[in-house]
Amino acid sequence: MTTLVIQGLLNGIILGVLYGLIGVGLNVIFGVLRVVNFAHGEFLVLGAYFAFVLMTALGIGPMVSLPLAFIVFFAVGYALYFVLIPRLSKSDDPETSSLLLMFGVSIMLGAIMLLVFEADARSLQLDIEPVFLMLGGLLIPTVRLIALLIALVMIALLAYFLYKTQVGKALRAIIMNRDAVRIVGINAERLSAVAFGLGIGLAAVTGVLVAMVFPSFSPFMGNDYTLIGFIVIVLGGLGHPIGALVGALLFGITEQVSVVFFNPSIATMLGFGLMVGMIFIKPTGLFGRQALR
Amino acid sequence: MNSPHDPPVAQTGDHRGQDMRADQLRTQIAMAIFAVLTIAMAVVPSVTGNVSLAFYLMLWVTMASAMNICVGFTGYMPFGFVVFYGVGAYATGICYRILDWPILPSLIAAGVVGVMISLLLAPTLRLKGVYFGIVSLALATIVRLFIANLPDDFTGGSIGLILAKANNPTHSYYAMLVVMAATLATVLWLSTSSLGKALKAIRDDDGAAACIGIHVPNTRLKAWVLAALFPALAGGIEAWYTNVVDPEYAFNVLVTAKSIIYGMAGGFGTILGPVIGTLALLGVDHLIWQKFPVINLLLLGLVIVLLMLFMPRGIVGTLLKRKPQLRRYIA
Amino acid sequence: MLKINGLQKRFGGLVALAGVSLSVPDRHILGIIGMNGSGKTTLLNCINGLYVPDAGTMEFDGKELGGLPVHEVARLGVGRTFQVPRIFPHLTLLDNLDVSQLQTGRNANERYAQSEYWLHKVELHRLRHNYAEELSGGQQKLLELARIMVAKPKVILLDEPFAGVNPALAQLLIAIIRDIPEQHDCSVVLVSHDLTSIYQLSDHIIVMNEGAILTEGDADKVRNDPAVIEAYLGA
Repeated sequence: MTTLVIQGLLNGIILGVLYGLIGVGLNVIFGVLRVVNFAHGEFLVLGAYFAFVLMTALGIGPMVSLPLAFIVFFAVGYALYFVLIPRLSKSDDPETSSLLLMFGVSIMLGAIMLLVFEADARSLQLDIEPVFLMLGGLLIPTVRLIALLIALVMIALLAYFLYKTQVGKALRAIIMNRDAVRIVGINAERLSAVAFGLGIGLAAVTGVLVAMVFPSFSPFMGNDYTLIGFIVIVLGGLGHPIGALVGALLFGITEQVSVVFFNPSIATMLGFGLMVGMIFIKPTGLFGRQALR
Repeated sequence: MNSPHDPPVAQTGDHRGQDMRADQLRTQIAMAIFAVLTIAMAVVPSVTGNVSLAFYLMLWVTMASAMNICVGFTGYMPFGFVVFYGVGAYATGICYRILDWPILPSLIAAGVVGVMISLLLAPTLRLKGVYFGIVSLALATIVRLFIANLPDDFTGGSIGLILAKANNPTHSYYAMLVVMAATLATVLWLSTSSLGKALKAIRDDDGAAACIGIHVPNTRLKAWVLAALFPALAGGIEAWYTNVVDPEYAFNVLVTAKSIIYGMAGGFGTILGPVIGTLALLGVDHLIWQKFPVINLLLLGLVIVLLMLFMPRGIVGTLLKRKPQLRRYIA
Repeated sequence: MLKINGLQKRFGGLVALAGVSLSVPDRHILGIIGMNGSGKTTLLNCINGLYVPDAGTMEFDGKELGGLPVHEVARLGVGRTFQVPRIFPHLTLLDNLDVSQLQTGRNANERYAQSEYWLHKVELHRLRHNYAEELSGGQQKLLELARIMVAKPKVILLDEPFAGVNPALAQLLIAIIRDIPEQHDCSVVLVSHDLTSIYQLSDHIIVMNEGAILTEGDADKVRNDPAVIEAYLGA
């Protein structure tokens, strides 16, 4: 039993890091733009399909797909920003409007994926030797360890970007205070587009990792990932892109350890319940300084 | 009570009469439109055997109007709205199929369960904006998973419940008509009542509303319960109409999505908006999209995006923005 | 009728109110002036229930206000306006006033009569069917005042009622406020930077500084008080 629990813990950590990436992407977009990216999960699944197509059509492995996915989707996000977002600021309630707008986008993306790839679940075929690694008494699929390592590297890169570069610091500044940034003279529009591109790029890369870690993916799984992303933000706190990671670990571990004792849907319920509880007890999340309003 | 500086009644008489008649005009126009719709729907079964489009029109008018109580009147956007619909469907299915109740008490059970769930979820009303939306969605998912985890012989598992014995398209059609009429009557009442005004004040600025003596949480709760009742009944009646309680459909996020979009297409700020929006979009859906089932979903998403980008206030709302003088006629 | 004793409020390390005591008799206009950050708005927020004070009492007509929810304080007869007017933008002027009377138990005709009376008084009657968001800032301030007066309050707390109001409207506002205590059996607590109006209107003036009362008295006394001149009015 304890090995199962430890196994669950380990799975929770691995998944938690992945969930954390989802949360970070969402956090960047919501924090900087106050846009609720309801289509985040769909972009994630698109990333998975991107890797799938590269592999089946061109034989390109996920290691190369990862940076490619980021570049391609960053560009897509950057362009999409100008198409979708500036109009929102004129509406009565930009946050709800963005939520509904991105909800429409999520439905469109899901439908497009359905049309192009059909409803069957796809998998990313990977040949990695050895398939499992033995650590202590525990069996870990190698591909999950690799995904974990990549995810950690990405988080490190992201942290470096956000805390050590000019652009990154400007993004963090906007998250804390939009108007002040404008006054200081930073071009908020272009910075916002960068933020959006960054968020979408992160979503796509996470999608590639998800394709590596989970046995299969299908067009309509996007919704679940979006919801997980928001749970993670709520737990970790807005304005704390790295704080989302802690929230994600909390969620991932809760979910995966519960799976040991209960069935998956109850585990999901507990995870969601955790978020609901957090909102009532500490709305700013574990690390956030301001509540989501 | 009356200080010497209260106005003499005679002076206010003529303005009062004028203003009252103006308000009444608005209400009468809405009432007339609703009456025409109701009568038209009542007549459909005697004109054609295929009542399906009309049935679903009534269903979505009900859903969009109930959503309007949340959004247009109170200022909440519940992304888990489908939870009321789903528990209504399941309550009816379980009472009829498992407990062997007759259909009418089963439908009443749907309404009761819907109200109970709304009371259970009432604490979420403390939350605001996006937070409320996300929690609403999460809670709806929890309820869905909870029902999925109940014993299969109680809920029918993943296949759902079949209500074959109840099959009566005509009776269920008229039940839906009654519920739609009740929903429209309710929003009509709300548009002129003190409760409706208090709700709009809360929607505009809940802090200021409290400062003028409105008990905000209680007032919100009343609207919330009202908004939950009708989707629950609709869910129950739809289950009766189709004879099936399907877990995939009963808690599908598309139910919430359509309620929002049909309402938004017309505009949530008025009571006519959701009705017009539903008529418009359902009409488009029937004429165009049904012919292209494959890209149906894509078009729905596209409509949402275009609406949000170019007409976020909906048809009626945008009209009112351009011609404010029409406010005298549109409730 | 409103007695405040030893009111304290802090936010983390910041002391907003350091023990304020004052009283507002019936049919009285109390003016409160002070630098930004002196605690004036915090004081108002404590009285009407938006903040819960850390210590001290607020007795109004024999009832203790501390800890009461905002809507109950309002129902006891305390009205409040804000520096930035918080009218209901998507309600008509008539509805803005109507909604303020819902808890008075009056019927629709009685409410309408009061609404019409006050709309005439603030000279906004012809706009009564317009949405409140269509008004100018100054007009919104007048509407906000009308909105609390229709409920026949016993004391009203006005936070910077003259801020951003053009001189013509300001004159109207002054005339209305001046008449309120006698005509409507209501006291006024007036927070403002507009010293001229404060001197014109107030029966009694309190000068606040850093959360405490620096000095108080009538207009002449305050005007000539050296401590006030140094701290607030300049040379």
